[in-house]
Parts: sequence; structure tokens; C-alpha cells
Amino acid sequence: MRGSEIVGVCDQEELMAGQLAERYGIKHHFSDVEVFLKSSQPDVVHITTPPQSHYSLAKQCLEAGCNIYVEKPFTLSYEEAKELICIAEREDKKLTVGHETQFMPVARDMRRLINAGYLGGAPVHMESIYGYEFSEEQFAKAVLGDRRHWVRRLPGGLLQNIISHGIGKIAEYLQDDKVTVLARGFTSHFLENIEETDIIDELRVIISDSHRTSAYFTFSSQISPSLHQFRVYGPKNSLIADHEHQTLIKVPKKSYVSFLNQFIPPFADAKQYFSNGCRNIKRFLRNDFHADSGMYFLINSFYKSQTDNAPLPIPYREILLTARIMDAIFFQLNELGNKNYTN
Amino acid sequence: MLRADQTIMITSGADIARDSGRSDWIIGTDDQILVTGANGFIGSKVFETLLEYGFTRIRCFVRSNRNLSKLKQIAERLKAEVDFIEGNLLSRDDCLRAARDVSLIYHLAAGTGKSFAHCFMNSAVATRNLLDATLKETKLRRFLSVSSLAVYSGFQIRHGDLINETCPIESEHMARFDPYCYGKVKQDEMVMAYSREHGVPYVIIRPGPVYGPGKKALTGRVGLDTFGIFLHLGGSNRLPLIFVDNCAEAIVLSGIVEGMDGEVFIAVDDDLPTSREFLRLYKKNVGHFPSIYLPYPIFYFLNWLWEKYSNWSEGQLPPVFNRRSCATYYQKQIYSNRKLKELTGWSPRVPFKEASRLYFEFMKDGRRER
Repeated sequence: MRGSEIVGVCDQEELMAGQLAERYGIKHHFSDVEVFLKSSQPDVVHITTPPQSHYSLAKQCLEAGCNIYVEKPFTLSYEEAKELICIAEREDKKLTVGHETQFMPVARDMRRLINAGYLGGAPVHMESIYGYEFSEEQFAKAVLGDRRHWVRRLPGGLLQNIISHGIGKIAEYLQDDKVTVLARGFTSHFLENIEETDIIDELRVIISDSHRTSAYFTFSSQISPSLHQFRVYGPKNSLIADHEHQTLIKVPKKSYVSFLNQFIPPFADAKQYFSNGCRNIKRFLRNDFHADSGMYFLINSFYKSQTDNAPLPIPYREILLTARIMDAIFFQLNELGNKNYTN
Repeated sequence: MLRADQTIMITSGADIARDSGRSDWIIGTDDQILVTGANGFIGSKVFETLLEYGFTRIRCFVRSNRNLSKLKQIAERLKAEVDFIEGNLLSRDDCLRAARDVSLIYHLAAGTGKSFAHCFMNSAVATRNLLDATLKETKLRRFLSVSSLAVYSGFQIRHGDLINETCPIESEHMARFDPYCYGKVKQDEMVMAYSREHGVPYVIIRPGPVYGPGKKALTGRVGLDTFGIFLHLGGSNRLPLIFVDNCAEAIVLSGIVEGMDGEVFIAVDDDLPTSREFLRLYKKNVGHFPSIYLPYPIFYFLNWLWEKYSNWSEGQLPPVFNRRSCATYYQKQIYSNRKLKELTGWSPRVPFKEASRLYFEFMKDGRRER
């Protein structure tokens, strides 16, 4: 990223830090975070360790005078998230979380339209669908192949490591923080058949706030093809964002006479998909369509919040609300478990 | 799927080796052997071959206890004392448990996939942990590390050259953009470093693409189906294949034959087909699919273009296609198994005709099931 320099990398396993430094020509690598902070004195630390260590590392870095970018999930609980934000404010430092999918081109376009009032008011309802493929993802193979994998040791298991991407999208558009959460989770037949009954890989959640904005969140490893969609329904118009294909479809309130209502809208939708395809190609040709463009945008915005005093890309309120919803989900899953579902 | 005829072939191979070479072995048949990655495609065959060779104390290190039924059945049939350890080589405690009292280690577990960090961690770091665990073991006679032909840099070898164990190893990893190659190169370096610094006796074996019943994909050295249609890239190149039974026997012998410490071996079969011949046989025996032949100079040029675009666009398309990779996999080169044969006495027991028949039958069955 232009204007920034990687001053050092740190990993408890020195070989891992060393290989990263070697591949990217980074001058210094460390295996002790304290030594790293003292000798490199970075302005920003990116914490990309397993979530169990996010809180302690983030605290240490903030107290050492660094701004921090923490990979998702931000922390293991709402309390930890709240405390980190308090420390950041006390130390006059900034922090953010790696919810990069919220900064992919399609998510930015959607935000622009919503902020411009396209929905015709506050969202009435939202649907966030997050698909996960056990068969293809290397990470999933690692989790299934190792019963002591760190993902399995998270309080919310596999779900905790992933769902903040989908929950964060909902949290952004909820009207207030007084949320009610109803969660049901279960193990798919696929996992049951391979005797992985301690992993919950199917989750359905209903969320609502005190302004009666509601949302459904679906996490599934079994829906095929794997979907990554976010739908926002407004009092006037609605929007459908497909993160997989980077398409944003407007669903305008428009009705036509008689059968024209069945003839014209499909063509209008087709035109929208065509435009989306053209826009994606244009972005690619403009060299603005990198697979990790969401992360690039998020990191760049976070750096600008420090150098130019621009607003933070993810408000603290959204980070806390995401953590609160996730706490509520895991509390219900751990309390009620699969039994409640089967009963 | 294990076929009776395969078992018979291995048994006959093992009998020959047992009769001829027992006095040359560095360990006795009742010494403790560790096999990492034992329930993998090659690992399970190595396990079976060791049992066929008469070794009675084998410890299998596996990531997950799932899919062990095949290994257990083989062990039961041959009345061997087999110890299954479920663990992760990234855990030093697991490595200590695995290495306890072993005389010989067959290290087959490896990192695969598209991430450099993942491949490095599961190849180099895992190997370091295992090597560390062996330092306290006084009985260890050899550490046999399974590497890959992928470590060689075809970019620094001329068209048509013979590749042997002395050929240059890949050093430009970001340009080659092959995480598996990176992991294996670093693993090899780790093994050699432990030999230099701690005197760990080692052998490294670098098999070509291993095929046989159980391997579900056609080797990438024939071509790629990334773009919707199969691009045949191998042309008249002699494919450096090795049948899984032959590979297992090469690994086993490299581990046990005396006087091999510090050696590196390339392992490929003898009577190898060209890529074109192999593809034709595959289509005939497994099922037809459309393919387009892309001559090497054209594919090399396209790789050059891709590489340029990747640099210019700062990775909008990652450099997965690049000249180094293209030269390594598709330039006409011949791999030599001479050293392996001369020093260990290995020779491929299953000829290509029989090996390909078994492989094609497996692939055909799989296709029918799908």
C-alpha cells in the first residue's frame, strides 16, 4: 500500500515470521511481540492470529501506542470488544476489524444508494446469507482434519470464526442497539455422516431492534451453490447484493398495467444484470477489481482515519453491536444446543 | 479400492526384496518404524509395503482417526503390531509421542494447497518439529523425507536435458508462485540443516506425480482444465510418472538399505508414456472428453503475457501462470531414476501396462459412480 512500509513481522513460531519476511523482503522478523513493538515501533499493528489471542495482543499493542487492525472475529466476546474500545479511546488510538466483505465494490455501491435514500426510509427487513463449502476450502479441510484445531476451541466453534462477516452487514443497518436475537443451530447430515457431531454448521437467526427493523441471518454449509448475499428491503424500494458475483440489483416499486407487470420487469432485471456484468468488466479493465479489493479499501480507509483524520471505516457502535449479536447467538446455541432444535 | 491382484504383485516384489536384501537393511524387522501421513494415498501403500516386507512394529501418525479401517484391515490380515497415533505435527508434544523409540521415520505428511504459509507450516515447520523430537532418540537410524520432483527448477534447465539429483532447485519462489514447491524446498533444506548441525541421518526421495487406484485426478503434467476445456500441454514429453505401488517400494527401500545416508533420489517409473500417449489411453479407457493441444512455445508465450499482466496490475490476476512453472512442468525434460536403481536395487515391479490398467479402471469406476 502506497505511503506505508512494513517495518516488521512477528509470529510466535519464528520460522513462520521468517518465511513471510523472506518472501516479501521485510527487513525484520520477531517471535516475541514485546521485542517487536519496542524495536519496530509501528504506527499500526495488524493482528491476524487466531481469535483466542486477539484481546490480549490488541491490548498490548494499544498500550504500546499503536493503532490496531484486528482480523475477524474482533474478540471472543462483547465485553472484550468494549474494553478494547475503551483502551483505544483512553490511549487516543484507533482500531478496526477485518470485515472486508463490507468494502467490496458491490457493498460500497449498496451503501451509497442506501445513504442517498434509495430505500425510501430506514430498512424494514434484511436478509444476510453466508454459504460455506467444506469440500473445497482448504481451511475447512484443516478444521475437519484436526480435532484440536483452534477453530474448534472457540466458544462459538466454526461459526464464531466466520459469521461476523454476515452479522456485521446487518449490524451496520440496524437502527439501535437494543436487539432481540433468536438463534437455532444444528449439525448438517454431511457432518453427522463423518462423525463430526460437535460442529454446528447450520445456523438460522432472527434479529430485530426496538425500531422494528428485523433481519434473518442464514449460515449454511449445505446450500448449493454456496451463496453470499445481502438483501435490504425498504419501505419504498429494495436492494439485493450478491457478493459472489459482485452484482447489485435494485428492486424498485414500479407496477405496470395488467400483463405488462409480468412482461416488463424481467427485461428490466435482465438489463440490470447486463449492466452489472459490464461494470465488473470495466472495473477489471481499470485494474480495480482485485480479489482482495475490499480489504485494500478497508485498510486504506483505516490508515486515512489516522493520517487525514477521516472517519473510521467501521464505527465502534457497529463493532460492538456485531459482538453483542454474536454473544447472544452462541449463548443460545450453547444453552439450548441441538436438542432444542430436534425437539 | 484394494484389488487382490495388486496385493499379489506387491507380495511378489517384497519377497524378492526380502530374499535378496535383508542383510543390507539398517534395521531389523522388529524395530519400531514411524510413518507420518500414513492414511494418505502414498502413506497407506508405504504402510502396506512395510508389512509385506516383514516389518512388525509400525507406528502410523495420522491427522484424523477417520478412514483408518483400510489400514486396520491390512494390519489385521498380516498380524502386525500397529500403533495408530492421532495428532498434528505442528504440536511438539505429538511429535515427541510419535518419535519415541523409533529406529526409522518415513515422513510423508506434507502441506498442500494454494497458500504459501499453509504449505510452509505443514511441510517445513512440521518437519522441524519432528526432527527436534528425534534429537533425543538414540535409536534413530534414518529419517526418510518424501519430497517432490516439483522442487526442481525447469527454468534453469535446457530443453531436452536429463534431470538428475544434481539439477538446480527452485529459488525464485514468488516468481514460480507454487506454494507446494516452496514448502517442499524448505522441508528439504530443513532436513539437510538438521543433518549438518545435529547429525540426523537422512535420505530424501523425490517422486514424480504418483498415480494409481485412489488418485482421483489426472496429473497436471498432462494438461489443465482450468479454462473450461482441457488444454493438453504435455505433448510428446515423457511423463515422469510413478505408480503408487512402485513409489511405495522405492520409499521403503530408500529408508532401509544400508549406506544411503545423505542421498537424494529421484523416483520415476521406467517404461513411461508420452503425455500424448497417456491422454489417448486415458480417453480410450476412462471416457472421452474434448481437449485442445497447445504447443509448448505458445503456452510459454501465454505464460509470459500472464506474468507481465500480473505484474502490471499488481496482482489483479495472481501469477499462477508463469514461465518458471511452465518450463518446469511442460518443457521437454527427461527424469533419471538411475541413481535410485543403482544404489537401492529398486526397480518398478508394476509395469506401465498393468499400472495404467488398474488406474484407468479406478477412474472409470469413479466416473460411473459420479
